[in-house]
Amino acid sequence: MNPPPFLATIIERIYRWAIWLYPIRFQQAYCHAMRQTLRDALADTAMPLTVLVPMLFLDLVQSLAKENLSMLRETFARPMLVFNAAVLAILSTGISLAIYAIPQQVLRQGANDPQIELAGNAAYRLERGASPGTVVPQTDPDSRIDMFESLSPFLIVYDEHGNVLSASAELGGKPPAPPAGVLDYTRAHRENRITWQPRSGVYIAAVIRHVAGAQPGFVLAGRNMREVDAREIQISEMAGLLWLAMLAVIAAGSFLFGWLTRTPGTSPA
Amino acid sequence: MNASSPLTPSVFALLLSLASGEKHGYAMMKDVLAPEGGGIVMGPGTLYGTLDRLMRDGLVVESHFSDDQRRRYYRLTETGRSILGAELQRLDSAVSAARQRGLLPAGGRS
Repeated sequence: MNPPPFLATIIERIYRWAIWLYPIRFQQAYCHAMRQTLRDALADTAMPLTVLVPMLFLDLVQSLAKENLSMLRETFARPMLVFNAAVLAILSTGISLAIYAIPQQVLRQGANDPQIELAGNAAYRLERGASPGTVVPQTDPDSRIDMFESLSPFLIVYDEHGNVLSASAELGGKPPAPPAGVLDYTRAHRENRITWQPRSGVYIAAVIRHVAGAQPGFVLAGRNMREVDAREIQISEMAGLLWLAMLAVIAAGSFLFGWLTRTPGTSPA
Repeated sequence: MNASSPLTPSVFALLLSLASGEKHGYAMMKDVLAPEGGGIVMGPGTLYGTLDRLMRDGLVVESHFSDDQRRRYYRLTETGRSILGAELQRLDSAVSAARQRGLLPAGGRS
């Protein structure tokens, strides 16, 4: 049985709107033919609406996805376009990594500058017989620097076994000692520059010098890296944003280039 | 698409439908929906999408015959006919093999 004319008109009108969802080339080529096929189906008494309408709906879902994906693939998955985009993405990733890594290294190395001088001077004086108490300022426990709070450089002198002899800073009420392995390395190499974490959340840019002579030991000059860390985070955020922006520009540029240089398909009938 | 690779059910059903002569969209839809045509439910979107690819591959052409300004007819090309023939040979061999193995009744309708 044929559907009433008004119902057939509504179905055809909805279908005509749905055809707009196909890629333009496909619409131009097959819009009229598809509508005519629908009219033929609606006029066919052997094709009940209960079969036709679900079939049309399912067909729209499947073929819309297929034709639009096909259009995207043909337009944007051309090897040269993908290759160019990949090369640009790799370049932008390299640039972003350099923008992050170079200042990060400069900041980190710069964070050692006062400590290098402090540790060198203290070791020089200790090797010439100065006592640890005279080499290290502010040894009084009341005036010691809090390593967690303060950004000021500090000095700690250890004996050959890692026991604190004199300190201008403390953490949790007493001067901490670096791991034995760090002192062993310093003994073998005379100087050691490390990022020391004496407690969770506390990062110290430390320079350790081995003191030779009659009273051997170690001098540790350190400084809380809180500000350096904050700047490194800022740099990483800026580099990350720059990377995302460059990827977005590459994606937009590739999309535009792909669209402008797309190959025309079958000409509309 | 070449003669050695199997066809998808939709492509096979459309080529089989066009083997008997040029047809318009709805005639093909009805053909492929019938059990002997493949029993494939194919709406206009899938139908014309498949025809578009078949025309690009040179298996089908628009015949430019029309009994109505908006109704378009299509027919098989020689390439399309030979690819359909190769597919039918392949299926025939498969059916024969199935019959030899007792999976289908001997002399029965395949």
